[in-house]
Amino acid sequence: MSAAQTTESDSARRARNLAGGSQKLWRGEALNLRAIRRSWQAYALLSPIFILLIVFVYYPPLLGLVRAFFRWRPGVPATFVGLNNFITYFTYAETPHELVNIVKLLAFGLFAGIVMPFVMAELIFFVRSAAAKEVYRLLVIIPMLVPGIVTVLLWQKLYDPYLGPINDLLRAMGYDELALNWLGEPTTAIYAIIFVGFPWVWGVGTLIYLGGLGQISHSVYEAAALDGCTGIRRVLRIDLPLVLGQVRLLAILAVINAITAFQNILVLTDGGPGFSTMVPGLTMFHSAFRAQQFGYSSAIGLMLFVIAMSGTLIINRSIRSTDEDSSS
Amino acid sequence: MSTQYRGLGRRRPLQFSQLGLHVIIALLLALSLIPTLIMINLSFKNGLQYRWERWSLSLPLRGSNYNAAWDVIDGYMWNTVLVAAAGLAGVLMLSLIGGYVFARMRFPLREPLYYAIIALLMVPWVLSFIPAYMLYNNLGLLNTRWALIIPNIAGGPIFGIFLMRAFITGIPEELYESARCDGAGAWSLIWRITFPLSLPGLATLSVLNFVAEWNSFLWPLVTISDMSKQVISVGLFRLSRTTNDSVDFGSGGPLFAGYVLASIPLVILFIVLGKFYVEGLVESGIKM
Repeated sequence: MSAAQTTESDSARRARNLAGGSQKLWRGEALNLRAIRRSWQAYALLSPIFILLIVFVYYPPLLGLVRAFFRWRPGVPATFVGLNNFITYFTYAETPHELVNIVKLLAFGLFAGIVMPFVMAELIFFVRSAAAKEVYRLLVIIPMLVPGIVTVLLWQKLYDPYLGPINDLLRAMGYDELALNWLGEPTTAIYAIIFVGFPWVWGVGTLIYLGGLGQISHSVYEAAALDGCTGIRRVLRIDLPLVLGQVRLLAILAVINAITAFQNILVLTDGGPGFSTMVPGLTMFHSAFRAQQFGYSSAIGLMLFVIAMSGTLIINRSIRSTDEDSSS
Repeated sequence: MSTQYRGLGRRRPLQFSQLGLHVIIALLLALSLIPTLIMINLSFKNGLQYRWERWSLSLPLRGSNYNAAWDVIDGYMWNTVLVAAAGLAGVLMLSLIGGYVFARMRFPLREPLYYAIIALLMVPWVLSFIPAYMLYNNLGLLNTRWALIIPNIAGGPIFGIFLMRAFITGIPEELYESARCDGAGAWSLIWRITFPLSLPGLATLSVLNFVAEWNSFLWPLVTISDMSKQVISVGLFRLSRTTNDSVDFGSGGPLFAGYVLASIPLVILFIVLGKFYVEGLVESGIKM
């Protein structure tokens, strides 16, 4: 996000100078009626955007925030129930299990979302030939050309206990006892869900890292090479600290995704077998669209929002980029 | 100095390690492409091949699987194209206007209003999913195409304005100065000058938005119950649930042919505009 803001400041400053150098311009303009009336054009141009935003983007989360404390279902007036929805969720027998699943998904999501794309980006970055680099950069996006739902449905076929290639392969190698019903066993199902997308050299993440690595100046590498800092040591001592901004972005995306996403689980197991792959997001979905408990569902949504926001803040604090921290 | 250093017996081990790099990258890419290759391979199989020769390439290729698949999913494909195109047109227009206003116009409360929009990027969808459903329910929009178009037109410009403001700020001020001297108003500054010069930015935004729309699943799943209005992701999900390919082997080929067909619009999009997508990510140096 910072890149866009730095490109902005240059011409903004120029515009300010053209307009007579008033310092207040960047923050807007003096707040008085005359200035507002003079700027009617800007407000008129923005009004459709803000009308849509207020009705369809601001209003729903605010409504959810309030209705998390209500009993709420379509066609029935909502009634205030205080903290009941939250108490119900936290005293529900399956809740600890759901939270453990989230922790598993989170631990793994950080690995698949941050580490693997970094490894892939470094591998491509170390390639000497510019043409080969270009080709690899294009090849990493090919898996993204398959719609997300198709990828999940394909993995479901790969796991198929009788017709799937994973078990065919295991049986061909003589490990018949390992040919399990991966998505159908309570002990393996959550890991099978986690394994979807292997080896997780996710196109967007790899490209974001490549962008960061490309911006490191050549003089840094020449100095490092003279000091004998090459290969793995260069990756850990120089590259990694210089792409911490990208690490932070991908970490935040991974955390939000691990905590809130349930689409793959809905498609692959729908929380089963039993409750072994249930997560709070899926409980939210079920309680709204199967049990019509929209207040309870909003409460779970609010709780997930709070957890995701705390995760974002923790990562923002703990991964500090080199521009802020020059001690290393 | 550095050239001398490079000359000192560094070439040979490097060539070797370069080979190793290519091998590892090829391996990782091959592993990520396996599901895609399996999908394409299975899409050409008849019932017998699907049962007995699942993992090998088997001839003859059964191209008619694609006809059968198309007859089932063509409606979903057109619905998705229609909804995505309508949404995209709105997103591009509002992002261009918003980007221009925040990049080029001066008015009271400009920055607070800008941040009031950008802050919405931080609100995860999980908080609004349930109440948004109730809102569309109360407005009588459920089971209409508006339920799919409006969220995109309203929500798409959030990132769009962020992207287009950065882009439009980079257009030289001189161009606007001379147009203003000729008496051009805000509207013609947007359409005559900003629009043609920000086409690369709009292309990046188009790819991102279209891919997101083509992939959208949970929202259409709950808001659209009439399958004649349903989008491709939900259509394929239903199809996979009603196809019993472990008993009726002949139905397997067409199912996978449908998966391949659903990928084709994204392939075309990336062939035409993929450059903007890769450059947008690699060269913007996006980070936080």
